[in-house]
Amino acid sequence: MSKETMSRRDALKFGALGTVGMAMLSASNAMAAAPTEKDVKFDEEYDVIVIGTGFAGLAAAAKAAERGYKVLILEKMGRVGGNSVINGGGMAVPNSTWQKKYGIQDSGELFIADCLKAGLGINHVELLETIVKRAQDALDFSIKCGAKWQDVKPAWFGGHSVPRSLVTDNMSGSGVIKPMHEFVEKLPGCKIMTRAKMDDFVMSADGMSVVGVTARINYRFDPKLLSDDVENKSGEKKVYKAKKGVVLASGGFSMDKIFRKIQDPRLVEDMDATNHDGATAGALLKAFQIGALPVHIDWIQQGPWASPDERGFGVAPLLTQQGLFKFGLAVDVKNGKRFMNEMADRKTRADAEYVILRKDPKSYPVAIGTYNTFEEQIYPIIEKGISGGVMKKFDTLDAFAANYKIPADALKATVKKYNEDVKNGVEDEFKKQTLKGDSLKELKGGDPIDMKGPFYGIRLVPKPHHTMGGLHINVKAQVISGNTNKPIPGLYAAGEVTGGTHGASRLGTVAITDCLTFGLIAGENI
Amino acid sequence: MRSKKTLLAVGFFLIISVMSLIGSEANTPPTPEVKITPELKEKFPMKPHHEKLAFKCTDCHEGQGDDPENFKAIDDKGCLSCHKTKQFLADRLKFMDALHTNPHNSIHDGPKLYCDECHFEHKKSDNMCLSCHSNDVKLWMRPTP
Repeated sequence: MSKETMSRRDALKFGALGTVGMAMLSASNAMAAAPTEKDVKFDEEYDVIVIGTGFAGLAAAAKAAERGYKVLILEKMGRVGGNSVINGGGMAVPNSTWQKKYGIQDSGELFIADCLKAGLGINHVELLETIVKRAQDALDFSIKCGAKWQDVKPAWFGGHSVPRSLVTDNMSGSGVIKPMHEFVEKLPGCKIMTRAKMDDFVMSADGMSVVGVTARINYRFDPKLLSDDVENKSGEKKVYKAKKGVVLASGGFSMDKIFRKIQDPRLVEDMDATNHDGATAGALLKAFQIGALPVHIDWIQQGPWASPDERGFGVAPLLTQQGLFKFGLAVDVKNGKRFMNEMADRKTRADAEYVILRKDPKSYPVAIGTYNTFEEQIYPIIEKGISGGVMKKFDTLDAFAANYKIPADALKATVKKYNEDVKNGVEDEFKKQTLKGDSLKELKGGDPIDMKGPFYGIRLVPKPHHTMGGLHINVKAQVISGNTNKPIPGLYAAGEVTGGTHGASRLGTVAITDCLTFGLIAGENI
Repeated sequence: MRSKKTLLAVGFFLIISVMSLIGSEANTPPTPEVKITPELKEKFPMKPHHEKLAFKCTDCHEGQGDDPENFKAIDDKGCLSCHKTKQFLADRLKFMDALHTNPHNSIHDGPKLYCDECHFEHKKSDNMCLSCHSNDVKLWMRPTP
């Protein structure tokens, strides 16, 4: 077919051809082809339609509305902000005014090298170069919209060669989302609709361009469904025209029980993630249906620092990363032995945990530490972890072993060897970088694990955190078609729904950078 | 003179208002009555604090006919017709702001969430905070009313 998609009308024609009309009709339903403008009657007209209200969607909407366009923003959830509003509020900005103010030397090349290292070299470098060029503009735009960032020396996050991460004043992504939401609502011609789910793209008569969307208003997302995108029938149908185009900023799919398992079968249906319930693949799949190119879809980043003893992100990631991993250790409960470098990259550690969990899905590994393994800034969270039951505290290693059903003698032998290796300057079997050189100067007291106790424990499980893959875009945030290898006219995308930027694994605090930068660019170019 | 005038004015006003009252009663269709049976009560249980006020179905489901099966969820406007404003509800729990635990003015959403993200009249309410703060919410809050 010359067209990018088979329209419903075409499908109907096919169906009318022969005696198998009914069978063909139901086949066309299963294909769920995107309708063309001839198939629909538009209820309302806008210049720009944005799907999603996270960092990327709001930045695109704010910029487009500022340029005088009439903008409709559709958000399927009741709440504005998706994952962005529950995010930790860190934004890496290479060569920022902040770095200059606080005397930190950085360069675009260094930032790209850091991203490529974590991304195993498969990152799309032109997108990283775009971030280097425009991240400061994106930061300034967020400030113009009312976001407030802490005026302190930038924070140094894992995998970055220099400190380059700013943090919002309330240490949450809501520090950007709340003011940007208000900014967008005040702009003339800009309208946000929550509980409004995009169903399909509406294509031009020739099937080549995106000219609008079909949607359902009064939509109620249902987290109890296996696949909300497929099963949920709530809401009333509407059709909206987008004269200039559509910006897809619908986020990642870490909570899509079906699609994520297809990409990575270790992610079983009932597995928890750090994401909000609405992080599903529905809108991404609709873009594939009209010819958009996929990139890196099966690279799903999992947090190896999460706990099965709480839902979502919780407090475990803070307590493990800043309390138990650096100088403490993690063991396999079956044999009491270490099984990974507790300070390796996220993917290496998650894979190591999976080797254990594959043999017995309930034998969660356990991280161990003592008071001296915690960083001081995390002290206030310790009590929260214990009272909530995520972290447990024991006076002796025997009690520790008994609780987690670890062979006590094996556990004691592991801890003893761990301490002795550090004392004797012997490199440990996993070559942990924090157990040698200058890093050891930060160690409080004598041994890494203080045998006086008490001993703190947290059970570990990897949780899906960020989906690196998504739509293939160019540096103007245009979505590229697999049918033409050219941009699909009228379709832009930004944020976690896109792929390529982060390669195999995203560095911490580059998500906000990615979303705000390409959201801004989409809003400028549409 | 003055008092006479006032009296006249008041009298005139009274007559007009009584007339308008009668008129309005004649023009408004009677509010449909839904007979509350034990089965209906079981199917659509009410929250005790609302039950105590002896609410009828149509007090909330205004203008939605008389068949409970066809009633629609009342939106924020319905809840706020008694509960004032979201800001009022946020201010009522202001003491929780100190520890950033005020569910009606959270760090994430401020006083902007839909009431029925968490509160449901005819089924168990669901605390949205729990989806990320499953373990510490019980330290801050009782079950969601």
